[in-house]
Amino acid sequence: MSSTAPEPRITALGDAAVLVELGSTVDLETNRRVRSIAARITAATDALPGWGAPVPGACSVLVPVDPLEPGVRSAVDRLATLVSAAETGEAGEAGDEAKAARLAAAGDPPILEIPTRYGGEDGPDLAAVAELTGLTTAAVVERHAAATYTTLFLGFVPGFGYLGPLPPELAVPRRPVPRTHVPAGSVAIAGAQTAVYPIESPGGWWLIGRTDEVLWDPRRDPPALLRPGARVLFVPAPGSVGR
Amino acid sequence: MTVAEVLEVVDPGILTTIQDAGRPGLGALGVPRAGACDPTSLAIANLLLGNRPDDPALECTLSGPELLVLRDGVVGLAGADLGAVTLPSGRRLATGAAHAVAAGERLSVRGGGVGGEAGAEAGCRAYLAVPGGFEVSRVLGSASTSLVGGFGGLDGRPLRAGDRLRAATATSVDHRLARNRWPIGLALPGSGGTVAVLPGPAATGERGRAALDLLTGTTWRVAAASDRRGLRLEGPVVELDVPADGPSHGVPTGTIQVTPSGQPLVLLPDAGPTGGYPVLAVVATASLSIVGQARPGGTVRFRLVAPDVARAEERARRDTLAAGGARLAATDPWDDLPDHAGA
Repeated sequence: MSSTAPEPRITALGDAAVLVELGSTVDLETNRRVRSIAARITAATDALPGWGAPVPGACSVLVPVDPLEPGVRSAVDRLATLVSAAETGEAGEAGDEAKAARLAAAGDPPILEIPTRYGGEDGPDLAAVAELTGLTTAAVVERHAAATYTTLFLGFVPGFGYLGPLPPELAVPRRPVPRTHVPAGSVAIAGAQTAVYPIESPGGWWLIGRTDEVLWDPRRDPPALLRPGARVLFVPAPGSVGR
Repeated sequence: MTVAEVLEVVDPGILTTIQDAGRPGLGALGVPRAGACDPTSLAIANLLLGNRPDDPALECTLSGPELLVLRDGVVGLAGADLGAVTLPSGRRLATGAAHAVAAGERLSVRGGGVGGEAGAEAGCRAYLAVPGGFEVSRVLGSASTSLVGGFGGLDGRPLRAGDRLRAATATSVDHRLARNRWPIGLALPGSGGTVAVLPGPAATGERGRAALDLLTGTTWRVAAASDRRGLRLEGPVVELDVPADGPSHGVPTGTIQVTPSGQPLVLLPDAGPTGGYPVLAVVATASLSIVGQARPGGTVRFRLVAPDVARAEERARRDTLAAGGARLAATDPWDDLPDHAGA
């Protein structure tokens, strides 16, 4: 933990969850701390009744708890100890350390390659993004495919990972009017992030390409291709714009 | 016990889905929890039949389904009174009670227009259970329909005409169950009441405290655009000092966000598990059933409670369910108890 990193803030969010916040800066180092803390919490609590599975956010971890047992008050105290241990690398109780290490290591898997067809029908917003960024369509594709992204957290719909950081020159605000139907597999960008829509859903991001990879299959184990910490590389399909 | 088709959908109603307690452990994968919007009424519908409190049942919305009864049996009905009747007899089916149904009759969870005339306080969702719960394959540990994800329940979709619903069936119908009524004196949810909330992170500072006062001091109208993902509330604009969209974090069911237009949004079970809008307050667990029953066009009011009060109310809710379930299990339904006579 660097000396400038903000102290974790641990507060009840209602009567059935505790939020562990690591400041408000979304960056890879903070996100790594998020996963390390989530792994520590999972290792220490997954066998305890009344403790739910932690939900990582961009720079926070939400821990659902039963409102009566343990209740948020004692959960806040317990989490303060756990988070402090995770941050200083102190040994946990009865094998938690090894378990957390395994979970943390599992959180840094090999890079997933997502073959992507950019532009055309698969990426109907590619030209608009080029216009907004002042780049050629080929340059947008090249830059999007050159970066390695980290899954910061998931949300919105099952299997939807918020991937970052996006090269700053590709940053565009969300579409002014969201689409009501975005096809599954659409590769999109908005703000400082990129994503693949795992299922057909509404969506307000710019669609620059599409993949045949299955991001979400409830009958598969695990059902989501991505999980927090998963690293992703988009690989332009032969014949894609810019190739 | 064998599994057999017990009900056929004649008309699915506005939105009828199979729900249980949902999938609470998958937020890290972006999976909305799903499950009953009013978990207390789901539990009552099940307890009336001696089921486990969160066995899979039908969640019927506003104008519920019409179902053809395929086998003699018993159903448990709880939650909002949508005006359920059997057809063609027109026999009225009270909520908070079990009822015998006979093969060939139809079960209409909207009745002869009664549901349509119900006031805003009548609630939004009725729960219909059968002995042993409806039989569907569990997906990721739950029978709940994920409307967002398109899985669970019946192929991840609402009921539609022609669906045949399966359940475990006994060789002989236990008609004694049909006399079960939720014990009088134990309050049923869904009959209004103000929603207990705890302050959220955005309720700090002068502006934040004023926003919280506005939340608890206003009778909010539930917008028509509300659904299982959330209640959109119409009323005065809520102004905050904090950014309109910050870093996303996990958001439990009952989180009250403020959208960029200043509209409170109460998250229900189909909401995404993470979100970035500022959190003004969070609904206390004991009051989740009230927001889960708020009907579009109706109103909702909030009251601020201390953590100890939230805890006491949740303990009371669970004790009430446990006591009701125990009393139903202990009662010999053939005895003419005053509870039943009051029916």
